[in-house]
Amino acid sequence: MKRFDGLTALAGVDFDVRKGEIHGLLGENGAGKTTLMNILFGLLQPDAGTIVIDGEPVRFRDPHDAVARGVGMVHQHFMLVPTLTVAENVLLGERHGVTLTRRDVAGVSARLAACAERYGLDVDPSAPVWKLSVGEQQRAEILRALYRNARILILDEPTATLTPFEAEQLLPRLRAMAAEGTAVVFITHHLDEVITHTDRITVLRGGRHVATLAPGETTTRELARLMVGREVASFAVGLGDAPLDAAPGAAALERVQGVREPVLEIAGLQARGPMGNLAVRGVDVAVAPGEIVAIAGVEGNGQSELEEVLLGLRRPTAGSIRLDGREITALAPAERLRHGIGVIPSDRYRRGLVRALSVAENLVLDRIGERPYGTPLTLNPKAILANARQLVERFSIRVSRPEQPAGMLSGGNAQRLVIARALSRELRVLLAAQPSRGLDVGAMEFVWSQLDAQRAAGVGVLLISTDLEEVFALADRCHVMYRGAVVAVWERAEFDRERFGLAMGGVLGSADPPAVAEGVRV
Amino acid sequence: MTSLDVGLPASALAWHARVRALLVTVGAGVVALVIGAVFVILAGGSPARALGSMVDGTVGSKFAVGQLLTQAIPLLVIGLGLAFAFRGRVYNIGAEGQLFMGALAGGAVLLTLDLEPRLLLALALLAGTAGGATWGSLVGILRARWGVNEVISSLLLTYIALFVFGWAIRRPFGDPSAGNNLASRPVPEDTLLPTLPGYFVHYGLFGALVLVPIVGYVMARTPFGFRVRAMGLNPQATEVAGVRTGRLVVWLMLLSGGLAGLAGIIQVVGIEGRLDAGISQSYGFTAIVVALLGRLSAAGVLLAALFIAFLNVGGQAMSVDEGLPYSLVVAIQGVFVLLVLVADRFSRA
Amino acid sequence: MDWSTIIGVSLFASGVQLAMPTALAAVGETVCERAGVLNLGLEGMMLTATLAAFVAAYYTHEAALGVLAGVLAGVAVGALKAFLSVFLKTDQVINGIVIVIFAQGVTLFAYERLFGGLSTQPEIAPLHDVRLPGLADIPWLGPVLFDQDALFYVAAVVALSVWLLLFRTRFGLLVRAVGEAPAAADSAAVHVDRVRLFALLVCGALAGLGGAVLIVGDISLWGPNVTAGRGWVAVALVIFGRWNPLLVLGGALLFGITDALQLRIQAASGGTTAAVPFEVFQALPYVLTLVVMVAATVASRRSAQPAMLGIPFRKGVSE
Repeated sequence: MKRFDGLTALAGVDFDVRKGEIHGLLGENGAGKTTLMNILFGLLQPDAGTIVIDGEPVRFRDPHDAVARGVGMVHQHFMLVPTLTVAENVLLGERHGVTLTRRDVAGVSARLAACAERYGLDVDPSAPVWKLSVGEQQRAEILRALYRNARILILDEPTATLTPFEAEQLLPRLRAMAAEGTAVVFITHHLDEVITHTDRITVLRGGRHVATLAPGETTTRELARLMVGREVASFAVGLGDAPLDAAPGAAALERVQGVREPVLEIAGLQARGPMGNLAVRGVDVAVAPGEIVAIAGVEGNGQSELEEVLLGLRRPTAGSIRLDGREITALAPAERLRHGIGVIPSDRYRRGLVRALSVAENLVLDRIGERPYGTPLTLNPKAILANARQLVERFSIRVSRPEQPAGMLSGGNAQRLVIARALSRELRVLLAAQPSRGLDVGAMEFVWSQLDAQRAAGVGVLLISTDLEEVFALADRCHVMYRGAVVAVWERAEFDRERFGLAMGGVLGSADPPAVAEGVRV
Repeated sequence: MTSLDVGLPASALAWHARVRALLVTVGAGVVALVIGAVFVILAGGSPARALGSMVDGTVGSKFAVGQLLTQAIPLLVIGLGLAFAFRGRVYNIGAEGQLFMGALAGGAVLLTLDLEPRLLLALALLAGTAGGATWGSLVGILRARWGVNEVISSLLLTYIALFVFGWAIRRPFGDPSAGNNLASRPVPEDTLLPTLPGYFVHYGLFGALVLVPIVGYVMARTPFGFRVRAMGLNPQATEVAGVRTGRLVVWLMLLSGGLAGLAGIIQVVGIEGRLDAGISQSYGFTAIVVALLGRLSAAGVLLAALFIAFLNVGGQAMSVDEGLPYSLVVAIQGVFVLLVLVADRFSRA
Repeated sequence: MDWSTIIGVSLFASGVQLAMPTALAAVGETVCERAGVLNLGLEGMMLTATLAAFVAAYYTHEAALGVLAGVLAGVAVGALKAFLSVFLKTDQVINGIVIVIFAQGVTLFAYERLFGGLSTQPEIAPLHDVRLPGLADIPWLGPVLFDQDALFYVAAVVALSVWLLLFRTRFGLLVRAVGEAPAAADSAAVHVDRVRLFALLVCGALAGLGGAVLIVGDISLWGPNVTAGRGWVAVALVIFGRWNPLLVLGGALLFGITDALQLRIQAASGGTTAAVPFEVFQALPYVLTLVVMVAATVASRRSAQPAMLGIPFRKGVSE
């Protein structure tokens, strides 16, 4: 059992993994999957209960204890130090002498290379981590666990940040590890994956154990019901292979037909990343009123830098951004806002809201000096609170009262707050970056319906998303980013999972024939 | 959890937090005085007599009260500006330099222009404010434009300001008769601030007191103050929400620098009557303590300025009466502000 | 003005001597900033160390003991900084400023308490008078190593050692990791807070050494502002040196030589009556520091600053 600040994150969960099996651990966000695994890895200590490995009860004070007992973990957000090399990252967890010579590093590199060879996990041990793709970083993480002789390997959402192609490559490798006797715990909320790739499935909900099943004796539908606790519309939970409906934006498009003049035009945009590397290298996107244009791609391919450029936080090194034909490239976020750009930043706590301010204050953060919320010299608390009550109602934000600090909201409610503020003014363009990341099904449905409604109202929506389900559910057109450049553009009618997967892996552009290119490094 | 460790309560919990902040500060103050008593014993004195002498030297007579208030004026004026800047996490620690640049700019007006006295005084006060603000704005522009750390730049600029001031009172404005005690020529006598009849404090006191509610109002009840607070808590989210945070940084530096400059010229026309090193007894640095002890609120700064002035003036009396080192009170200030920092964290745990 | 007397061979030597205290403190600051702790209390560390060194050298008449006392005092202030930053996790900018204020108050009081009754200002024998018997008599090597210029070797050895510490030891790997990605280090079973504590102690030792060298090797007298902002300059030099101890040393030497140069020009140009006011030269080191800090900040395309500098690490809370 584990409590956080009075909330019980886990309540009496029993969970067992067998040697040589792949055990799927399924649950929504907040179901307690990650908490459970953090306890298993010694990052958190349980308030009650025991862990037994090979029949022996163990206590992990820290990850070092867990590693010593053969537990390895691959976190969803990789736990690698970006400025260090892969080999140095491995050395970080090792206890050895005082010095760290080049020979020490070379020794580790050699052993890592051998290990990589054996499992087909291709990574350069001497490369600094920040230069690696997300797939390579994940392989480095797995390699680190194997290097330390992990017999229990925990993977937290391992496919979430991979291209479909990379994910397909990963799963047989896990199977090979299991075949050698490793117990693999596979945390996910993707229903298809657990059904096809695991030996047993455990479902958690609200910190409780709901069921442990064999994949043969269940269906995605039943798993979804167990996971959410109620019947769910197929809209939200894993589109699977369900056929795409006709372009949902078609109606809106027709209405603005003839007005296909783009409201937002991005041309030849280039920008540097935090390490000084060219992270965005030539992006061209046009968004017309009443359409949702998506920028898809695996995380770490320049989307966050692109987002920062569009928010006005990062200066591009080349290219232009135009709104209604007017240059806005050099404008500060404040001016962009005045010109009718609404934003839903991907990092809602860092860029979306001010935690220590109240919900009501956060909701007027962008209009605080304007009537009726105040004048240049006064504030009008009554109007600020009235506005908050109205928006809380309209966007179903669950708060005890509007004076509550925004930092106390759950992820879904925090996102509702950010969206409420963005949408409570007249928009020309809505920029939504990873708008449903980390949200539960209900909140995700809400976000999607809001984006859909903006499109219907004639707003040009630019959606930056690493979630293909989201892109397929919403976008009228999609650009795929790979290594900072747009490698493919498809209209909705051309959407195809396989081609998307290849493009996201950099194998295929929209101009190429849909065939697998040779010499793919995965 | 608020992200600033000193002051700055979360809005919704403001009342609660203010009471706690007051209790923590007063508690730390009591402990600091107890430690101060230990210092007195270490220095071979009697704590009771030392305290008696301090009280006597600060509130024992009209003259003493005048001394206390006179010391509190610059601390209050500068402390208000610093509290505002600190709320926005703009850590201006160069108020000492801004004070001297303000005094210099105002002094230049007084020594070079030939105008009707009242007009000249008004102009000098304006020039003093502008001088400090300009010096401060350098720091703000460097940070807003290129992200240069304002703590270091404001401090380096203080050293530079001291050399500029030193040169000015030696060469262009220098008074040859002052000998080795470098000072400028006296400013016109009719521009000096009058003294409150019966008390030994100049009219700058009223200016300083008027500033308290004004700065307090702007900090707590205007969009500008709100934006500053939001920026202090989360600069990125505030900028994304459409606040020009770069401008806000420059404004805060103009404001805190301007108030420091104003304090500088007030010292010239209120006390010294000319430009010399005596216009500041490290008020620019001590005001940092005042802002922190005042928990970044206007009323708090007023109380803290009075308390620090009590220590300073009382310390002088104590060193005369009891032969104890004056530095004792400087040490107590250091201990006090350190204790507040620690106590504040523990009160949250 | 006779330029040959200004830019002579000894310019380098006196530049090194002037640069030493700042250089040592800046190299120390590099270590703790690499570990993610912004130590603005550096000036306070140096100041405390100067007094400790002065007191020890004054009473024992041993310059070496003075240096030792300075180092220990620096370490003690490092521990205080660690207590406030690492354990209490208070705002690092504020606690740094508070440490400086605290150190200014307490050192001044202690000095007046100890020496207040003396009629003349107490003075200690400077370091270079202490010849290590035997060693200094070694032909050729002795005079070089135990001459003024010996300080240069000390600085170079210290900077090189710190470079080795950061890049060739396990501790250095941990330091770099906790400054850049503490959560990742934590999940690799690195004790983030412990590493930051040790980094601050190392920083304190080096800043203390710098303070001690200033007092024992150069000034011989103590006064309330004896460090004269060297700690702040040192913090700026870390930015200029892009968090690399060797570059930081280079920056400090540049600073010291400029300082030596201005002192000589000032002396040669005729004091208070010269055409160019001597204040210009006095201000020069501070102007130069400001300019190079701004230039380094503006010019750097890729920030070398540790990603988590100034941000306390809390387990389980992502920033």
